[in-house]
Amino acid sequence: MNQKQLIKLANDWFKSRSWKSFAFQKESWKAFLDGKHGLLNAPTGSGKTYALWVPIVLDYIRQNPDYKTKHKPGLKAIWITPLRALSVEIEQAANRFAQDIGSGLTVGIRTGDTSQKLRAAQKKQMPDLLITTPESLQLLLASKGYEKTFKDLNAIVIDEWHELLGTKRGVQIELALSRLKTVSPKMKIWGISATIGNLQEAREVLLGPGSEAFQNSVLIRADIKKKISVKSIIPEKMETFPWRGHLGLHLLDEVVPIIRKSRTTLLFTNTRSQCEIWFQRILQKYPEFAGELAMHHGSINKETRLWVEQAIRDEQLKAVVATSSLDLGVDFAPVETIIQIGGPKGVARFLQRAGRSGHQPGKESVIYFLPTHAMELIEASALQKAVRHTVVEDRIPYLNSFDVLVQYLTTLAVSDGFFPQEIWPEVKSTFCYQALSEEQWEWLLNFITQGSQTLQAYDEYKKVEIGEDGLFKVNNRAIAMRHRLQIGTIVSDAVLAVKFLGGGYIGTIEEWFISKLNPGDVFTFAGKNLELYQIKNMQVIVKKSKVKNSRFPSWAGGRMSFSAEMSELLREEMFVASELEADSQQNVSSSTSAALDAGSVEKSIELKAMHNIFQRQKRESIIPKKDEFLIETFKTREGYHAIFYPFEGRFVHEAMASLLAYRISLLSPITFSLAFNDYGFELLSDQQIDMQQVFDNNLFSAEYLMDDLQKSLNATEMARRKFRDIAVIAGMVFTGFPNKMIKTKHLQSNSQLLFSVFRDYEPDNLLFQQAFRETFEHQLEEGRLRLAMERISEQKLVWKQCEKPTPFAFPIITDRMREKLSSEKLEDRIKKMMAQWGDL
Amino acid sequence: MTKTLTLHNNTFILHPSGAMFWEEEDLLVISDVHLGKVSHFRKFGSAVPQKAIAGNFQKMNEVIAFFEPSKIAFLGDLFHSSLNKEWLFFEHWLDQISAEVILVEGNHDIISPLKYEALGVFLTPEIVLKNFLFTHHPEERAGFFNFSGHIHPGVKISGIGRQQLKLSCFFKSKDQLILPAFGEFTGKHILVPQGDDEVYVVTKKEVICLND
Repeated sequence: MNQKQLIKLANDWFKSRSWKSFAFQKESWKAFLDGKHGLLNAPTGSGKTYALWVPIVLDYIRQNPDYKTKHKPGLKAIWITPLRALSVEIEQAANRFAQDIGSGLTVGIRTGDTSQKLRAAQKKQMPDLLITTPESLQLLLASKGYEKTFKDLNAIVIDEWHELLGTKRGVQIELALSRLKTVSPKMKIWGISATIGNLQEAREVLLGPGSEAFQNSVLIRADIKKKISVKSIIPEKMETFPWRGHLGLHLLDEVVPIIRKSRTTLLFTNTRSQCEIWFQRILQKYPEFAGELAMHHGSINKETRLWVEQAIRDEQLKAVVATSSLDLGVDFAPVETIIQIGGPKGVARFLQRAGRSGHQPGKESVIYFLPTHAMELIEASALQKAVRHTVVEDRIPYLNSFDVLVQYLTTLAVSDGFFPQEIWPEVKSTFCYQALSEEQWEWLLNFITQGSQTLQAYDEYKKVEIGEDGLFKVNNRAIAMRHRLQIGTIVSDAVLAVKFLGGGYIGTIEEWFISKLNPGDVFTFAGKNLELYQIKNMQVIVKKSKVKNSRFPSWAGGRMSFSAEMSELLREEMFVASELEADSQQNVSSSTSAALDAGSVEKSIELKAMHNIFQRQKRESIIPKKDEFLIETFKTREGYHAIFYPFEGRFVHEAMASLLAYRISLLSPITFSLAFNDYGFELLSDQQIDMQQVFDNNLFSAEYLMDDLQKSLNATEMARRKFRDIAVIAGMVFTGFPNKMIKTKHLQSNSQLLFSVFRDYEPDNLLFQQAFRETFEHQLEEGRLRLAMERISEQKLVWKQCEKPTPFAFPIITDRMREKLSSEKLEDRIKKMMAQWGDL
Repeated sequence: MTKTLTLHNNTFILHPSGAMFWEEEDLLVISDVHLGKVSHFRKFGSAVPQKAIAGNFQKMNEVIAFFEPSKIAFLGDLFHSSLNKEWLFFEHWLDQISAEVILVEGNHDIISPLKYEALGVFLTPEIVLKNFLFTHHPEERAGFFNFSGHIHPGVKISGIGRQQLKLSCFFKSKDQLILPAFGEFTGKHILVPQGDDEVYVVTKKEVICLND
């Protein structure tokens, strides 16, 4: 069949289902059949699966004209999805087309949930299309004879590439592709991505910068414009609106009528604990929702999640409280309304969530924004603008992730072994490792074979061994097994399985939360109140409890930062507020129009609602104008507070707080506790800061920025935390596994200890240094910090000595997540704390 | 920099390293060194810096030079795991030590007693001397004051301005003193002092009593 006939085949099938193919789908079919690689930019629920699965099938038909009678076995295509939950959906869609046109192609899933038996069967006979996760793909590379498995691979599709880009799982994909390009010479590489700021770069990362695949690739845009309407939930009386907090429960009564009005509503929360609390409280106050309200988050077991997803599709549920676990994929037609509780922290995420409603073509997506504290109303106002102007963030890809490379090289050594001279050019061709030097490569090879750079007396380090022929290989079976078990653990925190005493798996919970509880304590999980019975073999055994008051587990990773785009929108809103509040007092409008672009001076209902709060802020301090940088100081029982307001987002504030605290600590010995949110940061101390000295010494200077940051103790603390993941990924810390009894007690250690050992004995270790690099590039966002410092240096510093905490300061000073920085001697600090005890 | 305790008319000096010296008996007491831990990790494919091995031996040499004891008692967990080549470092180290060495066995001490005895190290489940009982696990026995290890005690202290510190410590209750872990590559377990408990935190330079 020629291309025209093939495409007709597909079009006929679309017609038979009374569907119409979109332009982007046809474009993708054609490009694929022309042998191109590419990136498809298409949103969820747009038919993107058929855009790429259809040409894969057509290509098979073209190459095997007698396909109806003779099935050619072997793996032909791989579909990578970042979330296991999405695999079933894709399988159904793929099967539908493959079977209807009688292609004879089989579809199979292989993820962490796949049974041993099925896996073994797959190893003998792979399905034609394999749907899998990045981790499971790595595991395939860790099995013997993998080259044979992949030799006839014709296509690989990376779904939701925007979710993987900017993560280490994305780096895993880059490395896997670099290997597959060699072993599967016919393979075409395609990615599917939602709209992000750096789509072109996303294509380059996927295909390899300057590679043959990149030269021969296309970027296809679906261009499906969706109408999105954003509404803020604002209470009748603003006086009762809390100044701080992140739960938003005070607006529960306003949410219920919205739920009642629409077919199905999704309520998105930012953290899993917030999700649990909302679920519980709605049912407590409105028991009539029982049976019609469900919860969905990543720690709940798979069966329950799948049930919830199916129940949404079947329109059995009135509302679902969810976290980002429902952000991706899965098409839910009955969803009419979305409620976002608390700031979504990024425009792309907000848009993605908004897009979960109104799936029918032409339908408007409705999203309600529920601010959890007063200051978030400014955020709401900024989001309205973002949606109008479609501002979207970039996803920053990782560079030189040595930990992932160590893991990958060990993976290859575990399967068939590798020759460095063959793998080096492949690794070098990826985006992540394009700047890898030969010295670094040698270092890494020494690391996996000797555990250090020079041979030492009495050393018994054992991992990868070099054969006489120069083959790098793992010969020790125990090491190979531990490595395979470890591959899936790029997800950071140690988790334990939660089970009922009488059996029955409920989900997973982070170890650090459960370690704070004693048997008999009651906590809420998966919407149930559970009593801790015991912790045994990495399992948390629980009983049902009738106790009303219980603790809510919190999960790490709930803290996100404003993107640069979001921060800028927020600053603009703040300046609008500042001008308008000035107007409302003096009734002078000329200054406003001079300062702002024509047309943008519109007071949103959110800003109007905040009038009282703004007035209060102005009474105690000021609302900073565009050319002003506000600093507030005041004293409370806790000590001396100094609050700075750059409005640059949490991560930049973390860096700036650290930098400034360090510079002040050089003037005289002092200890700080640092707090930050998306609006500003706080330096809290038991001593007063000499603010005049801060100004006189020009401590906001962008000079020696990196130098000072590196020296600030706080950067070390942050690097220590980054190191945790690095140590796990590089296989230096063995975490043990839920549900698996492995005698590894003597091998368990804490990555914090390991970090200290590296700092004291091997500070030039590349993995140790990577922790710092990641801190600066991904956490502290060096580039943004520099721009922010330069902006501040143009501004006028306004220092307000306040009587008490201002509305702006309140959410910051009540934050319990804190960093510390000190230039005092440890011994002096201990003695001072002892003296303070005496005072209390 | 050290701290002196008087118990039943005997003098005990607490050292910032986490070691303790019994003056009357000329006995140095060290707990939970966990030698061999670094090598154990390396043997199983985790590349902990090898140089860290030397740290423990150096620290022991320093504290021995300071007190010049005629006897050294290790309160258990001297070696972290089964025999590995770090044992050879230990052999060399013993050659240079003139003091008599005693090991009170701990839960991690699974290396054959014969191996220790061949090097002249005396093994015992406990030491009873005057009114004092030395064990690995903390114990209560009527009429005795107990010295032990095992717990790796630490304590959390806080001050104005939301300051907080976590430090290793000697943890003393009425008839008991738990020594901090001496080893370099070991963690700590946070204890909360009650009633009459006394806490002596250790920094690199000092032992500071929090009850003073």
